[in-house]
Amino acid sequence: MIIQTVKEASVLVVSVSGRMDAVTAPEYEKKFEELISNGGNDFVIDLGQLEYISSAGLRALLSTSRRIKDNKGSIHLANIIGNVKEVFDMSGFGSIFPVHGSVDEALKIITG
Amino acid sequence: MIKIENLSKNFGSLSVLKDISVEIKEGEVISIIGPSGSGKSTLLRCINLLDRPTGGTISIKGVNILDPRTDVAKVRQKMNMVFQAFNLFAHLSVIDNLALAPMKLLGKNREDAERKAHELLKLIGLAEKYNSYPDELSGGQKQRVAIARCLAMDPEIILFDEPTSALDPTMISEVLSVIRRLAKEGLTMLIVTHEMDFAKDVSSRVLYLDEGNIYEQGTPQELFGNPQKEKTKAFIKRQQSFYQQVSSPDYDLYSLIAEVESFCNRHMVNLKSRQDIILLIEEMLQLYRQSSLSFPLDMTVNYGEKTEMLELLFEAPPGSLNPLQLKGEDNAPGLSIIANLLQNHEYNSSESRNRLSLYLKKPQ
Repeated sequence: MIIQTVKEASVLVVSVSGRMDAVTAPEYEKKFEELISNGGNDFVIDLGQLEYISSAGLRALLSTSRRIKDNKGSIHLANIIGNVKEVFDMSGFGSIFPVHGSVDEALKIITG
Repeated sequence: MIKIENLSKNFGSLSVLKDISVEIKEGEVISIIGPSGSGKSTLLRCINLLDRPTGGTISIKGVNILDPRTDVAKVRQKMNMVFQAFNLFAHLSVIDNLALAPMKLLGKNREDAERKAHELLKLIGLAEKYNSYPDELSGGQKQRVAIARCLAMDPEIILFDEPTSALDPTMISEVLSVIRRLAKEGLTMLIVTHEMDFAKDVSSRVLYLDEGNIYEQGTPQELFGNPQKEKTKAFIKRQQSFYQQVSSPDYDLYSLIAEVESFCNRHMVNLKSRQDIILLIEEMLQLYRQSSLSFPLDMTVNYGEKTEMLELLFEAPPGSLNPLQLKGEDNAPGLSIIANLLQNHEYNSSESRNRLSLYLKKPQ
């Protein structure tokens, strides 16, 4: 799994590629702990390059989302496609997060 | 018509046929199926006395053909065999290949033998090839001539030893259609074949041989539609299996996935099913790892090449829980994914193993 971050105004765009599974999910959570500790508050998670996600990955998304919300921040997901979308649909996670077709769309919503 | 009792055949220390007993009635069309090396061809060769059985008895119309006083040549006139490799006489024309044995063995004159040969060539759709030589024929045509040569002897029984296995796929159907036609005419036939659809369609009864025994037999509807025994089921579905023991909750997920992907590649499992089985394995192992009582855990992936069905089978030690019964918020997404991936599942708990079979949905 590769995680890259870009700051767009006050929003952190986090792109995740590769696999989010039982092995890599802890890396994702650790990275978010770091980003939150460094003052990150509003996030767009770009999953367009993610090849695979399991429930371990979904749980990691959920736990970081809770952390962010506890900090009065926000988290939006973008570019959920292919296999990853199927897993979101199967698990019902698509309705838990605000989901957008693109990063730009998500940024517009956050920044008003 | 044919009664076989306790037939055995050894080649040195190798026991190829162990204890075969079967009775075949006049007009029956029997397909003999089973894995390579199960003794199918040896059984035919024993019936035709090309191989001498080690033990047991074979009676044809009440005559014990293993009795040293029996006239074997006379028995063989009633019973003829079609081989994989055609075995035509290369130096004789098609018509001479057909006429030779009736003249030599049945005492027919050339005119009668050739008249009959022409009739048979019409029957198999090769009337215009009477003057050709075997080398001028395709594989399918050669095999059809070999069948006609067999019929030229007016046999009551025909034994077919994998009659299409030496043929290109394009030529198989022309040979099978000739055999189908003979089946309708009431000849007693024993056919060793790997063509399952043909066996299903043409036979009155199917014998499934495994390790030198008749492991299961029945009508095509019974054997292909509802096989009762494990090996028959696996064979009919052309089932391929991958087995791995997961020894502890600290398993190496990526190594396991690599093995399953390699298995799927080898058997050309479609991409969607591959993705689904890998997701299912991860989700299931996440559930199993919540209890150390689940390990060592035996995991088998079964793929039916015929049905394109994937089964994931887990066998856990006694005392382990059914992971699909686990509760809790953390397990909910995994359980929901699993429920969506599956067509159905079966759980059996016994004193020795807890067995969970999961059948993946076929992709749309």
